[in-house]
Amino acid sequence: MDHGILIADCGDSAVVVRATAADADRAWQVVHALADAVEAARLDGVYGIVPAYDSLLVEFDCSDTDHDTVHRALRAAIERLDDGPAARPSPRRFTVPVVYGGEYGPDLPVVAEQLGLTEREVVELHTARDLTVRCLGAPAGAPMMDGPAFPRPVPRLASPRVSVPPGSVAVAGRQAVICPMRSPGGWPLLGRTPLRVLDLGPVRPILPGSATPGTAPRGVAGAPAGNHPADTPAPCDAPHQTPRPIRPRPAGQALDAEPLTAYRPGDTFRFVAIAPEQWDAYDGTMLAAGAAGAVAHG
Amino acid sequence: MADTFTVHRAGLTAVQDLGRLGRSRYGLPVNGALDQYSARVANVLTGNDEGAPLLEITALDFACTPSTDVLVALTGAPADLTVGGIPRPRWEPVLVPAGETIRVTGIRLGVRAYLAVHGSVESPFLLGSCAPDTILGFGRSLRDGDELALRAQLPQIDHPVFGIPLFRLHAAVPRFAASWTVDVTDGPDLAEFGDSADRLLRSEFTVTPQSNHIGLRMRGGKPGDVPRRVATGEVLSRGVPVGAVEVPAGDELLVLHRGRGVTAGYPVLAVVTSTGLSALGQARPGQFVRFRRRTVAEAVAAYRLQRSGIDALRARVRTVFDALRIPDPALPLSSLPRPRK
Repeated sequence: MDHGILIADCGDSAVVVRATAADADRAWQVVHALADAVEAARLDGVYGIVPAYDSLLVEFDCSDTDHDTVHRALRAAIERLDDGPAARPSPRRFTVPVVYGGEYGPDLPVVAEQLGLTEREVVELHTARDLTVRCLGAPAGAPMMDGPAFPRPVPRLASPRVSVPPGSVAVAGRQAVICPMRSPGGWPLLGRTPLRVLDLGPVRPILPGSATPGTAPRGVAGAPAGNHPADTPAPCDAPHQTPRPIRPRPAGQALDAEPLTAYRPGDTFRFVAIAPEQWDAYDGTMLAAGAAGAVAHG
Repeated sequence: MADTFTVHRAGLTAVQDLGRLGRSRYGLPVNGALDQYSARVANVLTGNDEGAPLLEITALDFACTPSTDVLVALTGAPADLTVGGIPRPRWEPVLVPAGETIRVTGIRLGVRAYLAVHGSVESPFLLGSCAPDTILGFGRSLRDGDELALRAQLPQIDHPVFGIPLFRLHAAVPRFAASWTVDVTDGPDLAEFGDSADRLLRSEFTVTPQSNHIGLRMRGGKPGDVPRRVATGEVLSRGVPVGAVEVPAGDELLVLHRGRGVTAGYPVLAVVTSTGLSALGQARPGQFVRFRRRTVAEAVAAYRLQRSGIDALRARVRTVFDALRIPDPALPLSSLPRPRK
């Protein structure tokens, strides 16, 4: 069976896979199933994979492996896709309160104009349905989603912002995203959520002069059990005993790591408009499946 | 009380390693030393694992004093290294007696120098790496007056002839000049640029001040130097490799480096090679860059040659260090052969 997959070299240390299925959902399933297969294969030298909407980037150290080996492993994994898609964890639903427009979403007026809609209509479309998380991407594990049902793609900003505040809710093309951390960004901003998106646990900015990060409680009351199994290490290792050797590395070791996020690809986000005066009620609360306090679906 | 470096002049110095591997799937960039070659060699010259934490000194002068005898090595961009005011060689191990000040001054032609110390330094770790991540707000930058804990003790080193050892280990030193030739391979979206793709190889580009560890911005010398995307249509965000050459706006190239976000929506015209990325990690604003096309096979061969050179250097270091009874820092001191009486 032809899964409609193209494999191409992407420099001397990466290979990119594109799924050409006309059905976007099918293409996404294929690249994420391939990502799981590559991870499970624990190939020597492979140190990173980036499954996205319809593509998969495989990063490796070309002194430890070669393109042919990676191509072969990918083709073998593609053959095995015929056995049916791997079981994916059942999707969870996240409800995300957002203050739209004004200083929270400075690009709402221009996006409305570009789409030929009123600002209110843009917000209604953005909150109208659950949006599926397709991958964790830039910056810093941002949940990258399918966009709302806008009449046409949203153009990116002509000149990217140097600094986008954390929690900013943005759209571009046919995509939607929340920016977890302050970072540069070229996507138009519709609003901002007061929730914390990333669980940095005990990781806090290391101030110059301090030797160890401060500690803070990890997770949040009411977060579903299972996000952070007790048997996984907290993401901030204590100062270690011996540097972890880069070479030779046990195959696949580097890929077994716990995410900093409660969400994973396949989960859905539902945005809910709140008034600016409701901001403080949620400020700093950790994003968690199911619970967004008392946000009622309108 | 652990032995320390007392930092007198921090400049722009961070504790760094080769990067945070295995986190791309969760949206975290690899980060790590921008000039990977120099960082690896600095560690190898001090007997460390190549991925051990070391100091990445960016552009500005640096000075510190160890509380115990240490063995250090300075690599990367040309600079002046002195110990107690006496010039000492770069790209070789250097013995520093307790209380003598190490100074790294006048970094030039490149932008980053790497100072490794036998046994490495203490550092906070996140997900297996001490590499700073500026977006997460993680990492250790040094400040004037800091005490940086050292992680290994150096036994007394006796040299049979000179008392103080001088090393000639012949690490391969990269060429530093006012302009760079950077190797690239064809990118996966080359076809989207039509006939204009060749401009990347024909033009000379200037590194702009808006360049950092996330990416380098480069300007063409005249209009028409920058390739143009001829294809139109929506590009879905997708994984982009470190080294991706993108054309986001009309008149500038963007070359992604180790701090790059893992996904982007721009077509990838070319990809800088692994050896080219170490060179590009040294490019200063105002310097010129020319791109040179290589096949993937040539790029892989060049990188493997570079890495085998490091492997050979490691073997020479181990031979010399064994003769001087300088321990492998990964081993506890008690396992050392006892000095002959």
